[in-house]
Amino acid sequence: MTLVEKILAKKAGKKVVRPDELVEVSVDRAMIHDALGAHTIAKFRELGVEKVWDSARIVVVLDHYVPNKDIDTAKKCLNIKKFVLEQGIENYYEVGKGGIAHQVLVEKGHVLPGTTLVGVDSHTTTSGVVGAFATGIGVDEMAVVFKTGRLWERVPGTIRINVEGKLLPPIMSKDLMLFILKRLGVSGALFKSLQYTGSTISQMSFESRMVLTNMAIESGATNGIIEPDQKVRDFLRARTNHSFELIQSDQDAEYAETLEFHADDIKEPMVAVPPKPSNAVGVTEVEGTRIDQAFIGSCTNGRLEDLRIAARILKGRKADKFTKVIVIPASQEVFKAALAEGLIATFVEAGAVVGPPTCGPCMEAHMGILGPGEVCISTANRNFQGRVGDATAKIYLASPATVAASALKGKISDPREFFREA
Amino acid sequence: MELKGRVWKFGKDVDTDELFAGRFIMGGDETSKSQYQEFIARSGLSDVGHRENVPRDFLTKVEKGDIIVAEENFGIGSSRQQAAETLKFKGVQAVVADSIHRIFFRNFWNLGCPAMDLPGISAEFETGHEIVINLRRGTIKNLNTGKEFEFRLIIPSWFIDMVEAGGLIPYHKSLKS
Repeated sequence: MTLVEKILAKKAGKKVVRPDELVEVSVDRAMIHDALGAHTIAKFRELGVEKVWDSARIVVVLDHYVPNKDIDTAKKCLNIKKFVLEQGIENYYEVGKGGIAHQVLVEKGHVLPGTTLVGVDSHTTTSGVVGAFATGIGVDEMAVVFKTGRLWERVPGTIRINVEGKLLPPIMSKDLMLFILKRLGVSGALFKSLQYTGSTISQMSFESRMVLTNMAIESGATNGIIEPDQKVRDFLRARTNHSFELIQSDQDAEYAETLEFHADDIKEPMVAVPPKPSNAVGVTEVEGTRIDQAFIGSCTNGRLEDLRIAARILKGRKADKFTKVIVIPASQEVFKAALAEGLIATFVEAGAVVGPPTCGPCMEAHMGILGPGEVCISTANRNFQGRVGDATAKIYLASPATVAASALKGKISDPREFFREA
Repeated sequence: MELKGRVWKFGKDVDTDELFAGRFIMGGDETSKSQYQEFIARSGLSDVGHRENVPRDFLTKVEKGDIIVAEENFGIGSSRQQAAETLKFKGVQAVVADSIHRIFFRNFWNLGCPAMDLPGISAEFETGHEIVINLRRGTIKNLNTGKEFEFRLIIPSWFIDMVEAGGLIPYHKSLKS
């Protein structure tokens, strides 16, 4: 069996599962955030159950609309806090204590290899980076998970994404993911799992791998997953007291499909042209496109290595006078590290606004909303029409290096010119 | 269980931001059913005038019992259940598509509204056609052309009971612990 099949079999109490088989699995972790948490709680109350199945397995993170932007969002967050206190949920992250849910789940050691995680958010797939089955569900299902601790799932066949070779800076895992999506399309992996393998993945940093599992959902996949290795063990060692094993796919695992990629084939940084994450082109094809906003952050690319490469480009330079540059660390932990390294000072000096660790303008939630005809280049994961505001606004997706280079010039720019001397 | 209705033909890759924009997610009082339903129904597909994959007059002319027949990848994107709820509260009773995104598929069924994927089905329908879906037999019929198609869904055995109960929450309430 493949890694995801082994996890689902174990959690369903079965020896073997096959692709497209229906199983009922136990849930190890369940996450709600402020965008859909109050709705989940209302549905849970409708079920007429007093107590959740296991308060220790629930993680609550406020990340979309915090600090609250209006009375509606404040009311919903109050409802969530009340529920957390009433149910005795320990894993609660108020704004200023956590950050973006997908980052917090991994950072705080809440997700372990070989386990199952569900969240009321499609980018819950991110946690597959530790070798877990992690996926998104709606609020009615989450209410039932809160009651029963169980979830039905259609076992996804595994598409193996095998990548060989070395990515040369400033080409990042984001460029690789956009390159993969170009081939896979936005529906290429419906009801399938993406498992990333190969030398590029094993050499890649843990943070870079998170970009791949995060954006697996953009291909329509049920989840994204990577076999846990020593990097995962090292990352989790300081973050959890729980033991875990580095579960791997069987040698004779059957894959629905294997797609081969080579790092050398990515000739230049990639940019996904609106309105689909799969519309990837080389940066030189869209170079010079005027922008109004540049956003570095999100659960896709708001981690320390992302801020480091952006700061390397922005250091000692000024962002374009007419471009709104927004930098948002993915978590308090990332924020603290970036402060200590002087990255935050670099951003402020360059004329960027640095926001509190939240989702920011990844979606039309809180801040950085786009007006009619505005153009944004973003390190986030979706560029659907109207995703971050007015339906006539345009969103280009790129790596933190490409977004930082673009911020300087007020137009889409190739970051390679900042790396030539190196 | 048989569903009969008038067809609205949608294009491909209808995404959840399109079905229900982020700016409305925190709107609506989830503790008041009637107020919530009215808000969700009103707020969906708000930017449809800018879209090519939804018929222009869908918002003004959709009626209770209508059925969407869409091209591939219906409901791609977010887990926001409002994307499914807004269609239900506008009156849509079922979605048939060449393919359907996993989260939307689950969300729509959980509201008591069937979603069926069958590659190539969208080519067999136009807006205004009459469609009949037999859930237990697994058939879709176009009453205008007389053609009938078989589908095979990968869903739990209790899903049709759930639809008859009115959705996941009422179904669970009806279960004796």
